[in-house]
Amino acid sequence: MDILINLLKEIAVFLVIAYLFSKTPVFKLLLTKDFKFTDYLTLYVLFSAMAIIGTYFGIPVDGAIANNRIIGAAIAGLIGGPVLGFSVGLTAGIHRYFIGGFTAVSCGLSTTLEGLLSGLVHQYFFNKRKPERVFDPDVAFLTTLVAEILQMIIIIAVSRPIEEAVTLVKLIALPMIISNSLGTALIMSLFRDQRYNYDKIGSIYSKQALRIANRILGELGKGLNRNSAEKMANILLEETSVAAVAITDRENILAFVGVGKDHHIPGFPIASDITKDSIKENRIIFINGTDEYYHCPISENCLLSSVLVVPMRLKDEVIGTIKLYGQKNKSFFKINETLGKGIAEIVANQLLASRYEYQKNLLTKAELNLLQAQINPHFLFNAINTIIAINRRNPNKAIELLIHLSNFFRKILKRNEDLSTIKEELDHVNSYLEIEKVRLQDQLKIQTDIDSNLLGIKIPTFTLQPLVENAIKHGISKLLGNGQIDIRVFRNNGNIQIEIEDNAGAFNEIKDKPDIGIRIVDKRIKNLVGDDYGLRIHCEPDTKTTATILLPSGGVK
Amino acid sequence: MNLNAVIIDDEFNAREEMEYLLNQTGSINVLKKCSNALEGIKAINSLHPDVIFLDIQLPAINGFDMLSMIEESVLPRVVFVTAYDEFALEAFENDAIDYLLKPVDKIRLEKTIEKVNNSIQQNTVQKLNLPQITKIPSVGTNKVKLIDVDCIEYVHSDETGVFMVCIDKKYFTEITLKVLESKTKLFRCHKQYLINPDKIDEILFDDNSAGKIKTISQHLIPISRHYLKELKEELGI
Repeated sequence: MDILINLLKEIAVFLVIAYLFSKTPVFKLLLTKDFKFTDYLTLYVLFSAMAIIGTYFGIPVDGAIANNRIIGAAIAGLIGGPVLGFSVGLTAGIHRYFIGGFTAVSCGLSTTLEGLLSGLVHQYFFNKRKPERVFDPDVAFLTTLVAEILQMIIIIAVSRPIEEAVTLVKLIALPMIISNSLGTALIMSLFRDQRYNYDKIGSIYSKQALRIANRILGELGKGLNRNSAEKMANILLEETSVAAVAITDRENILAFVGVGKDHHIPGFPIASDITKDSIKENRIIFINGTDEYYHCPISENCLLSSVLVVPMRLKDEVIGTIKLYGQKNKSFFKINETLGKGIAEIVANQLLASRYEYQKNLLTKAELNLLQAQINPHFLFNAINTIIAINRRNPNKAIELLIHLSNFFRKILKRNEDLSTIKEELDHVNSYLEIEKVRLQDQLKIQTDIDSNLLGIKIPTFTLQPLVENAIKHGISKLLGNGQIDIRVFRNNGNIQIEIEDNAGAFNEIKDKPDIGIRIVDKRIKNLVGDDYGLRIHCEPDTKTTATILLPSGGVK
Repeated sequence: MNLNAVIIDDEFNAREEMEYLLNQTGSINVLKKCSNALEGIKAINSLHPDVIFLDIQLPAINGFDMLSMIEESVLPRVVFVTAYDEFALEAFENDAIDYLLKPVDKIRLEKTIEKVNNSIQQNTVQKLNLPQITKIPSVGTNKVKLIDVDCIEYVHSDETGVFMVCIDKKYFTEITLKVLESKTKLFRCHKQYLINPDKIDEILFDDNSAGKIKTISQHLIPISRHYLKELKEELGI
């Protein structure tokens, strides 16, 4: 009875140790599903130590030791599998063997076998795809129970003289079987509870991550810039309660909030080599502030001592980093690496999601630019000058031209539809050309060849007129002789093709930087129907320049 | 005294309007209306107007380049006319007498004419800071070719006109040797010859201290004694 009570006392001590252990970072190892070799090594050392301590805590009984050695080996086997269980068992067994006594061999042997047995139990559940069961206290209890009975049998079978062995077993069997089974079960139960806590924390983290994601989405509407970065950084600071948060792009600090903001200044280039490495190597870097310290590259008095740098990826490209900082003498564990990584992923995803919105915004802005580009001052003043001249000789013609000019500008200023039919676009081109024909006289002849079945097809508004204007500006107007512009709309292999061709062949893509209007024509089509379609400008010097628009069979929708 | 003017603008209606406005002032005779730089050069060289009303954006050769192609001695007073004033600054750097914006206001035009008159009466020198010529126009029967200065080996003149000689072809031009000498890198080696220093293969000296230049395509160009010294200096020999 004394033995049982003493052993239970030892187990109480073990439980305290196990509890403390569960609060250390090493415990997080047990949360992982796949151990790496180094993890096995850590666990091996840990559980071997536990088993050996179990031997030392043991109570000498008639030249043998009633002990809790089994607990370390059993848990090692259950958690880590046969190899770990066997290794721990063997180590503790050899240690026991060298302490001596008439049960040295049998105890050493049995501990090894017990470790192996627990490992096999692990393997069994693993094969049954119920790996969680190894943390079940019942399983632990039964495994240890069987293992301890096995040990008793081995003692009787191996230890000599047999009488002493039998006497010993009678004395220690019950206390050891009971205390160790109970001890393993209790420690396992403690581990399981701690795991559960971590999972719960994990799920709190997930909820937190989700909330952060939601809050960030609103701020990323226009992509990553200093404004959105600062808002994001504030959200992260509030949500994670780290000491400081920084967001960088590939070169500069976009935002910095929290402790140290006096010397970490947005807009400045990235100073820290860790961040540069993180961007270059696309790698999460964690300086935990316990083993390694973060040294602020800017100020010696900086209070920050730990940092987690997480690269933000968009597709395969690192576009910047999120940095979470911890303060000196304060634990950083609250925010673990996983959460940081999760947040960076969320940000990247949100960026990706916001890209569509962003592109749409960009187009609207571009369209505004286009609108301005449309009101080409040269065109406007030359047109007015032409109309004044015409008015002297032929007031009716002047009125006609004024009406064309009004139509032309009205369409541009109204601009309320993103898409127009080809007919509407041609009408717009026509208003423009009526004025240009009078202005340029013989210099400009227009020839059209239009498949009337395609007039209802929709294309982005202001697709054609910029191309015709380009043909005049970078074509006809450079000609000393007569100019001609051909406008063709036809089907080609099911696709729709629109061609604007001038006979100058003077367009030089590099020299005559295409106007914004021209560049947008291509961009808008590609955005709407994909990269297979769009605008191509080909110039045969001194012969012709052809602007070709390719659209899918139904136009754009 | 009325001033003689030439209008250079590529738009028919713009020329008509300018002529109308100038006639309205009663102090200008419009001698000719030209639709491009080549016509302009011809008219200036033959008519010697007092003033030109010059549109800047002209086909092939713009207004500034056109001015570079005219001998300073016959260069009239220049008034730039443009539809939009993005060129205005450049025009003033070139120290034109004035510039006008289309559509042209009658009252504004009268001020311009006053300025031109003053300039002529006071005989002020027009300091036109004009660009180098990089392309020289050659008018063919039905088209104009722009010859890159870099491909010209030499230029010579005779009683039939000025000719630019490239590797395999000869082009006629309206631009005088004097203008080409001052506005291009072409160098005078003879009264009737300009040489492109980049195209010299050999220089052959003869007894009477003159010589000949052999170009890279083996044309022989005379060097006259008068230009030998400068040529040597230019080539650093």
